[in-house]
Amino acid sequence: MGDGWCTDTGESVYRSRDAVKNLRIRVRIQRVTSTAALSQHLHQQVLSQQERGVIELDTFSSHTQAASTIDAEELVVGWQEKFFSQYEMDLYQTESNCQTPLERQYHTEIMGMERSKRRQNQRIFTYTDFDRFSKWEEQAQSLLIPAQPTPTLLAERMANVRHRRQERRPSNVPKSRLITWEPSEEFIKNSHIINTPVQTMYIMGDLGPSGKLGLKENEYVLCTIKSDSNGVITIKPDFNNNRGAYRLETQGEKREVWRLYLENASSHIRAEEKEREQRMYRDLYTRHKEYLNSLVGQDFEMFFLSVSAQGYEYDNLYVHFFLDLPNNWSSVPFHCLSGVTQTCRTHSVGKDVAFFSYPFSFETFFHKEDESDGSLPQWPVMFFKVLSLDFWQRYRTEGYGFLVIPSTPGYHRMTCHTWRPLQSGTVAELRRFFIGGAPELEDISYVRVPGTFKGERLSRFGFRTQTTGSVTFTLNCIQHARAFIDANTLKKRRQTVLDQLGGHSQQGSVYNVLEAFQRARKRMQEARETLPRDLINTS
Amino acid sequence: MAELHIIGQIIGATGFPQNSLFCKWGVHAGGAWRLLSGLKEGQTQVDIPQTGDMAYWSHPIDLHYTTKGLQGWPKLHLQVWHQDSFGRCQLYGYGYIHVPSSPGQHRLQCVTWRPLGSWQDQLAEMFVGGGPQLRSPDLIYSGADRYRLHTVGMGTVELELCVILRHFDRYGVES
Repeated sequence: MGDGWCTDTGESVYRSRDAVKNLRIRVRIQRVTSTAALSQHLHQQVLSQQERGVIELDTFSSHTQAASTIDAEELVVGWQEKFFSQYEMDLYQTESNCQTPLERQYHTEIMGMERSKRRQNQRIFTYTDFDRFSKWEEQAQSLLIPAQPTPTLLAERMANVRHRRQERRPSNVPKSRLITWEPSEEFIKNSHIINTPVQTMYIMGDLGPSGKLGLKENEYVLCTIKSDSNGVITIKPDFNNNRGAYRLETQGEKREVWRLYLENASSHIRAEEKEREQRMYRDLYTRHKEYLNSLVGQDFEMFFLSVSAQGYEYDNLYVHFFLDLPNNWSSVPFHCLSGVTQTCRTHSVGKDVAFFSYPFSFETFFHKEDESDGSLPQWPVMFFKVLSLDFWQRYRTEGYGFLVIPSTPGYHRMTCHTWRPLQSGTVAELRRFFIGGAPELEDISYVRVPGTFKGERLSRFGFRTQTTGSVTFTLNCIQHARAFIDANTLKKRRQTVLDQLGGHSQQGSVYNVLEAFQRARKRMQEARETLPRDLINTS
Repeated sequence: MAELHIIGQIIGATGFPQNSLFCKWGVHAGGAWRLLSGLKEGQTQVDIPQTGDMAYWSHPIDLHYTTKGLQGWPKLHLQVWHQDSFGRCQLYGYGYIHVPSSPGQHRLQCVTWRPLGSWQDQLAEMFVGGGPQLRSPDLIYSGADRYRLHTVGMGTVELELCVILRHFDRYGVES
């Protein structure tokens, strides 16, 4: 009567960590008739006056009672709990109608119920996941107006597949027979269609006129509940939650209006059980975390690494390289700082390239000795020479080059060009061509700055060279220093290694001054805020 | 201790004389490293490209290492093989790369080389196939005795690796 109808019949999604079998829904339907409305109105009036003890309830309550058995019903439905409709009871009572084992089971249940004469429901009944209703419903009902006569191919396949629950297959891939050459229909259905393992349940109401229950056309869906294996429960329409009843209108000749109320009647988990469950979860998680922690561990060490070399432009080449450490750098003793690659013949990829893929790794240590020494630290340099050794055992130098190890950590790919020294005159070239042998540098550090150089200007005047090919190095550098740890713990802005190690004193002091200024400024601002307003304004 | 995640794929190979290739790969790390999860070696499928030169494998790599020290940073080594129409397998190249030490996504090219025998062997190889192989594949990622080998360069294998580091900065390692 005065109720506002709830028009929002959209579905709503709930997430539950608890098993869905604990779900309970209270369904109440009530036919809207004039007498029912009147009796309800009177009932409410009586209730409000009951405190004053004026009118007795008995006369009205009996009237409402009589009506309620036929025109209203309330039922608490559990998940996948089967309640039979009148139609089903009539159908499954005769044994010959039962074809599948499920129907035979229904038959035995119904006979049992008939014998014991206990029946909880009259109008409200349910279709569980195992009944054939869900497939029919999806095929029969079309989403469009005008209704499409046949469902699409996909809808048909989904209807066949979806209502069957699929167990999670363990994710180990079979090691043999990966391809199924002749897939069966079943296999195609399961593999080609996305199968969401959803369990559905329908709560139905038989809304026929009282006395004529059991007709199929009077069945209406009251509520659809879907649950998937992840704890997601979809209920359409949602619980009323004091929003007003849902309005159901029958389709027959007499269009009748029914009210529908849905309520969540699942029992709340008791406090102590909840406590126990949470404690169990917490234990489980901490134990798992401890286990992972124990795998990972506590210690560490220091290192500096660099990696593979490749590529050149001549035939049967190999590279001989070594690392030169300037002052303040040291290395682990017995650690090999030089290497020789294999001899590689070139092949043409565009131009002739030789691939070495030679691994090497170095570990070096830097000691910051003197802070007053204002210069930046010098990084190690790698010198290399490329040589060729051919079938006739002719040995030639092909080039010299150097590479400064980059000061930033990370992945670097660098190409270095090389040159080889020339001797004036044709004799040297002829010798090089026919028998091999070529001028070599005595001190390979001459490539960059000779170790013996002490003056101010380096002069290479008179030294003749010829450009030869290039070598590509890929390096991964990692830097590890205690200064980084301190910086992190003090939460300073992280500076690069150059700032930390070189020029520490000068830049450090400037930085300290700036920091101190910032701190003082902040203190002043805070102090200002605490002062009363008028003091600041007047001054 | 610090952790390193390597997530990526072996995309494919290009530049080899023949196209139908497969790759055997493995990751080798030093003694301080421990593999927590993931497969550290495997073999891709044989890919026969119909168009173009590159053979695509898209083989996934998903590894989780934990380490006590920086020594023995993991290296990925590969062997590229060719399977011809008769089903014979022939070695086409060895190669290796270090897993990058800076976090992020890296697209890497790993070049490969193949050992050569004497000229008689090379002649026989041209007709019958086969060819020398390394007795122990450790030589792919160690440099010790390489100078004794005579090799020829072969194609390139492309990889894409995403590197995630954890707790390295706690020990003062910057990368």
